[in-house]
Amino acid sequence: MNRLPLPWRIAANMATAAVLAFLVAPILAVIPASFNKASFIYLPPKEWSALWYGRFFDDAEWLRALMNSLKLATLATLVAVPLGTLAAIGLSRAGRGLALASSALFLAPMVVPIVVVSVAIYRSALDVSMNGTLLALTLSHAVLALPFVVINVGISLRAVNPAWPLAAAGLGAGPWRIFRTITLPVILPGIAGGAVFSFMTSFDEAVLTIFLADHSTKTLPVKLWETVRLEFTPVLAVAAVVMIGLSVALFVLAQALARRNGEKA
Amino acid sequence: MIETTGLALGLRGLTKRYGAVTALEPTDLDIGAGEFLTLLGPSGSGKTTLLNLIAGYTDPSGGTIRIGDRDVTRTPARHRNIGMVFQSYALFPHMTVAQNLAYGLEARRVPKPEIARRVEAALALVQLEGYGTRGVQQMSGGQQQRVAVARALVIEPDVLLMDEPLGALDRQLRRQVQVELRRLHLKHGRTTIYVTHDQEEALVLSDRIAVMGKGRIQQLGTAAELYARPANSFIAGFIGESNLPEAKVTEVTGGMASAEVPALGLTVRAPVMPGVAPGAPARLMLRPEHLRILPDAGEGIEARIAEVIYLGELTQFGLETAGGAFLVARGMEGRGLRQGDIVRLGWSPEEVLLVPDTGP
Amino acid sequence: MNGRRIEVLALLAPALILTLVVFVLPLVRFLSLAFTAPEGTFATFVALAESPVYRRVMLNSFVVAAVVTAITAALAWPLAYLLARVRGLWFTLMIYGVLFPLWISILVRTYSWMLLLERHGPVNRAIQAMGISDTPLPLLFNHTGVLVGMVHVLLPYMVLPLYGAMRAIDPRLMQASDGLGAGLWQSFRRIWLPLTLPGLAGGATFVFLLSLGFYITPALLGGRTSIMLPTLIVAFITEHFNWPMAAAASIALLAAVAVLMLAATRFLKLDRGMFAR
Repeated sequence: MNRLPLPWRIAANMATAAVLAFLVAPILAVIPASFNKASFIYLPPKEWSALWYGRFFDDAEWLRALMNSLKLATLATLVAVPLGTLAAIGLSRAGRGLALASSALFLAPMVVPIVVVSVAIYRSALDVSMNGTLLALTLSHAVLALPFVVINVGISLRAVNPAWPLAAAGLGAGPWRIFRTITLPVILPGIAGGAVFSFMTSFDEAVLTIFLADHSTKTLPVKLWETVRLEFTPVLAVAAVVMIGLSVALFVLAQALARRNGEKA
Repeated sequence: MIETTGLALGLRGLTKRYGAVTALEPTDLDIGAGEFLTLLGPSGSGKTTLLNLIAGYTDPSGGTIRIGDRDVTRTPARHRNIGMVFQSYALFPHMTVAQNLAYGLEARRVPKPEIARRVEAALALVQLEGYGTRGVQQMSGGQQQRVAVARALVIEPDVLLMDEPLGALDRQLRRQVQVELRRLHLKHGRTTIYVTHDQEEALVLSDRIAVMGKGRIQQLGTAAELYARPANSFIAGFIGESNLPEAKVTEVTGGMASAEVPALGLTVRAPVMPGVAPGAPARLMLRPEHLRILPDAGEGIEARIAEVIYLGELTQFGLETAGGAFLVARGMEGRGLRQGDIVRLGWSPEEVLLVPDTGP
Repeated sequence: MNGRRIEVLALLAPALILTLVVFVLPLVRFLSLAFTAPEGTFATFVALAESPVYRRVMLNSFVVAAVVTAITAALAWPLAYLLARVRGLWFTLMIYGVLFPLWISILVRTYSWMLLLERHGPVNRAIQAMGISDTPLPLLFNHTGVLVGMVHVLLPYMVLPLYGAMRAIDPRLMQASDGLGAGLWQSFRRIWLPLTLPGLAGGATFVFLLSLGFYITPALLGGRTSIMLPTLIVAFITEHFNWPMAAAASIALLAAVAVLMLAATRFLKLDRGMFAR
């Protein structure tokens, strides 16, 4: 459709530029906000300073929230990745009916509104006196991360030619050797991609954690959520920048992995 | 048939059913050590099912499989010591050529120095010396095919199975590789079962050919046997080309029969294959090269030339008979003939054959 | 055959058990609370249906979701169109521009908008500088804030399916239409538009469903004036300790989601794209 008249093409280009700016620019607003020198945020800052970064990393509560987030995301990933990988392999070998039913179940946490999931898990955690515990948080974050692992590993499994395991078996390899030497190397980028998504899902999770975490297991998003309506200091912007920084790092990692996954496919 | 030194593989009543569908009717087959046997048939004929049963990738519904003096019917694929070459080659893409070859030896826990030695020897066998460190995806189609063969041979299998290994190659390369495979078999001398739907490939490579159709072995024999004495109309049409007009057998005596052939408008006397009997459906096998255009008027049957195809040394004619049949004749005669000409056709009675009709 | 089934079940079991114990079981237990109100089995649903306050919240939820869907569709259209046309560096930059926001926590994205839309924030100052208004406009803690924030968060979910549909259109179709003598408008209306409709419908379903379930953004940007169903569910628990009402409202929300999902998979064959194996 390059034959659109010139004015239309200019209009489409400008509209696109505006929409892209609308998508990206507001997210970046927290970066200048975090460099305000004053004790309240003004955009753009009248005086620039990294003062509030020092405040953030000196504040035991913020620091503990950050550590809790990293710990919880790591634990949830460690649960979701092996379970999701096994499940994806199982799905690839299951009959049609079982595969459809199981994948519907695995993907359900993505479809049910997070508020409903959160309130439901919160209630059950209360009933068994597990609310606030690291175990409850880990398992429930793992459930939310599981679909990402199942999908990622499932996609990479499609790159495994069904004849390879047969050929390996014909050459004398047992099931474990076949998995270790044939399947695993091919799906490894998919597993790594699933791990990145898992970590990100858990690290950014707010709604469920608002309900489930207590004072000692509070994560960075929860601390941000609690403080956002009380304070207007740049330390919040610093917390937001820290979260964005981690997201960017993982985004880059995921793109690299996706490229490797694509090459194999 | 090549000299054999005993039985390499024996199948007894081997069957495979999927629910109500029978993929392989109960099948008996004996293959001699060192023999090159081809399973030839169209897709859906049961040849791949039979191969997968022998390899151990499919469990049989009944019957037994013996390799040498071992009953392997219930043995998993990895303990059968069978070398398999897949149509897609199934080379492991994340490994080098040498790692692909070493795979089966590592699974057998062969010591490292011996693996290196045997991998080198196998590469030499398929003329790929020095390619060990290449990635398999850097190899051409023909080279990949040789890697796949070398990988199957390096484990010193009791039986080598090949599932349409030339299917992925272009026509010209295929000819060349056929000859190479034949030479290679003479060098390694391993019992080989080869699956293909290409009859030319089967004729070039095999000691014996098992023609498969409708889930069973229709006929087993050397290429010459199958060509000269096909067991039924299916084989007559599948091995080589043939005109197969329907025939009504009236009487059979001493290996010869009389039959009316409506399409030709005459009654013929011809040798018969077992199963031809009065009343049973039969067809007359009339090979294109046996059908001659006669110089004299008066003998044979009359036909009109519907098409002329120049094949170089030979000329092929499409002919319409008065009885409405379309016949193909091929030979060196008839250079000056043209479409529309009326000619007379003949054949020697000993070159035609009455075969049971297996239907379309 | 049997051994294979056992192997498959063993592979699926750990993830199935986790999902059943931590997701399905709590969900069923919680939702069943809706029928345990002291006033009667279905009293909660009667209360939801009869109270004008709750009815307004539900209506508001659907209106906001519909408006958000309409705005994202309008904004996504030119972006998806160009995305399907450009190649090379521009494509990479644009697609990253669409994908990158998905990686940023919704909480952070919402917080950013709080900074931008506040009374003395840059948006209000720009409005005043351009002379559109003399006094700061109330952009936060009302419908405006909720709409801006939700459109921003949900836009990528509309762009991606629309882009997929547009990229799948064979450019030769438009040339063929041109060759048959159709004008630009006719080609657009008869060829381009019908072929992009499945993408639009898919994106609209996504955005509408996600809008209905949104909590963080309406809660922070909408304040007390723009309450949606998820906010109501949370309020039932944290402010009224009324679990049966929270469960009943959740069932209403889930029912709406389920009906939409069914309609979408029925008419759009979304399932083939989403769960294709």
